[in-house]
Amino acid sequence: MSMIEFRAVSKVYPGRRAIDALSLRIEAGERVVLFGPSGCGKSTVLHLIAGLVTPESGDILINDELVAAGGRNLREPEQREIGMVFQDLALWPHMTVSENIEFGLRARKIPNKACQKRVRDMVDLVGLGDYLNVKPGELSGGQQQRVALARVLALAPRIVLMDEPLSSLDDALNRQIRKDILRLHGELGFTLVYVTHNRDEAQDLGTRIIHLKSGLIDSAFNVGHVD
Amino acid sequence: MEKRLTLVIAVALLAVIGLLPVLAMVGSSFYISGSFSLKAYQTLLASSHEYALLLGRSVLLSFLASALATAVGVPLGVLIGKTDLPWRGTFGVLLTVPLLIPPYLTAVAWGTVVGKGGWISQALPPATSDILSTAFFGLPGCTGVLFTALMPIVMLLTITYVGAVNPRLEEAGRLVSRWPNVLRRITLPLIAPAILFAAILVFLLAFGEVGVPTYLRYPVYPVEILTQFAAFYDFGAATAAAIPMLLVTLAILTLEYRLLHSPILELKAVRQGARRTQITLGHWRLPVFGIVLGWALLTVVLPLAVLVIQSASPSAYIEAFARASDSIVRSIAFAVIGATALALLGFFCGYLIHNRALPLWRSVDALALFLFALPGTVIGIGLISLWNTPMTNAIYGSPAILILGYLAQYTVLPMRITAATLERIPRSLEHAARLCGASWFMSLRHIVAPLARRGLIAAWLISYVFCLRDIGISIVVYPPGSDTLPVRILTLMANGAPSLIAALCVILIVVTLLPLGVVSLWLRHGARQS
Repeated sequence: MSMIEFRAVSKVYPGRRAIDALSLRIEAGERVVLFGPSGCGKSTVLHLIAGLVTPESGDILINDELVAAGGRNLREPEQREIGMVFQDLALWPHMTVSENIEFGLRARKIPNKACQKRVRDMVDLVGLGDYLNVKPGELSGGQQQRVALARVLALAPRIVLMDEPLSSLDDALNRQIRKDILRLHGELGFTLVYVTHNRDEAQDLGTRIIHLKSGLIDSAFNVGHVD
Repeated sequence: MEKRLTLVIAVALLAVIGLLPVLAMVGSSFYISGSFSLKAYQTLLASSHEYALLLGRSVLLSFLASALATAVGVPLGVLIGKTDLPWRGTFGVLLTVPLLIPPYLTAVAWGTVVGKGGWISQALPPATSDILSTAFFGLPGCTGVLFTALMPIVMLLTITYVGAVNPRLEEAGRLVSRWPNVLRRITLPLIAPAILFAAILVFLLAFGEVGVPTYLRYPVYPVEILTQFAAFYDFGAATAAAIPMLLVTLAILTLEYRLLHSPILELKAVRQGARRTQITLGHWRLPVFGIVLGWALLTVVLPLAVLVIQSASPSAYIEAFARASDSIVRSIAFAVIGATALALLGFFCGYLIHNRALPLWRSVDALALFLFALPGTVIGIGLISLWNTPMTNAIYGSPAILILGYLAQYTVLPMRITAATLERIPRSLEHAARLCGASWFMSLRHIVAPLARRGLIAAWLISYVFCLRDIGISIVVYPPGSDTLPVRILTLMANGAPSLIAALCVILIVVTLLPLGVVSLWLRHGARQS
């Protein structure tokens, strides 16, 4: 059973074709890295999976359910059970760490007590237990990364999308967060789609690396890992 | 050196033109016939109950206008700036029209509809008609007119700021929640300081308004100042009475300044072609479109149509030109000169603020905003306090005093527009010109100004509109025989025929909106060609 499937999906932005009849299958629990130069359509693939943009043509299936077809989205982003870590993290600056994580839980009407327990578990999972009532602006870059991860994982999504989330970190922190991602993937078993143009990140994090070029798959290969 | 000197001169000009009159007014309130006296304040205190009542009315009117403008302006701003509402561009322009014309024109139009003997009143039983007319010529009428006239401020700021919210923050919310919740919990809290700023601006503009309360005969504080000055020729009393308005404006702006400079406002400068998040209204699209269309017809099209219909006879326009052609020509001339001076001063002040080129850039921004929020009558009285001396009579007795008034009150508009425009131009472009050996003026002339052309034209146009619609300053300082069209209309309202007043209102609207239409068509044509 495939977790994500693209069938001849195209996406056009004014003046350029970002994705050109792309077909792709990603299995449950896989760690797929989308790799390629800027403008090759990597982030567009993530936005299409999340439902943040609408494809011009082609079908998108998530967990074998049709979520986009005929040039329109059939499932809204919040109905797709997908988590996403953005390149700039997109932490809500007016909310504390706790409120950032709680937002999605409250939107799903999870009872107050369960909500608080889940927040606690998540901050412990990413090692930020002491920062619950701190606003993102007061945290270091690495801590902000972990909050973004905790916010996504709190909802136990089936799929986690990451759009170059480590690009602004120094090498040491970058390696540390990569380890965290692998650990969390091992513990929680989500399907990971990771976008990067960094070769080391791609090799570390992917079980499969897909090289995109001008909105099409240029090459794809599996990576042998000893996890 | 030339850059620093130019900017210092611009700041000094703003201080002399704007701040000095206010200080002179405060100073002169303590002097009568050249000697120190508190008599003006004693007189003010002797009638303190009456003044407090008027001040209370002004505050209540401003509060109601501001609350309603916010309640309607924010949803409209979100609908136009964030959704796939049909005709949203047209609605944005149409709903801005009431802000561009003097608010009392809207009052005149509505008076024709709901006033005694008005179109609706004639169709109603006399008792109901009386109730409607009494309500219109009172607090409800004043509130309704001012709220519809000033609502575009909230709407436009909401449109601007919802478009500037980092789309990632909303997309992160959309992955877990529906749009209404994302708007309520993420977008609107992020732009709350901007909404608060808009609400406060509406409050202060309503607080200083004289045209609408004068026409609707609703006694409020600024009208009383004007009465003291214009009817009783009691300059001391007018000056002392202006001080509480000055203090209220200062207090509210200080509060706003503290609130607005909150560090949580995470906005991005919107660049052309940048991707924005858009709310799909789905099956709500048509019902919402109907509601917005109804609102636009009721608050914009109907009042304008009423004025056109009422003035629809050649004799009305012949009489209007016979009785006010000199005022029409003067108004246009003063507005053109004022807008040109404003665009120039605003450009340098805007450049200063954008580049933080002098240590006191924040004070310049605050001063310009303070002067804009200050009631026009107060600025007018300040100008008289400073310039009505034998030495400066050449300025005081000429239309130059009006231009100084426009510069004092409206510099913030071109200044902020320039600063926002420069935000979109990479600073490296100017730096590269300097490194190539260009002087600062050269780099401004050949690099910055051409790139900022559209913003500078917009700054000139907005300045032109505000100079043309001004009544607060003009009614206080216009030299004998040099009244402007808004002042002439207000004067003729006492005994002019309704068709004449309507014709003059239509003429004022046309001379206000015509250049806007022509220039926007020209800009659109230019953009299409390029």
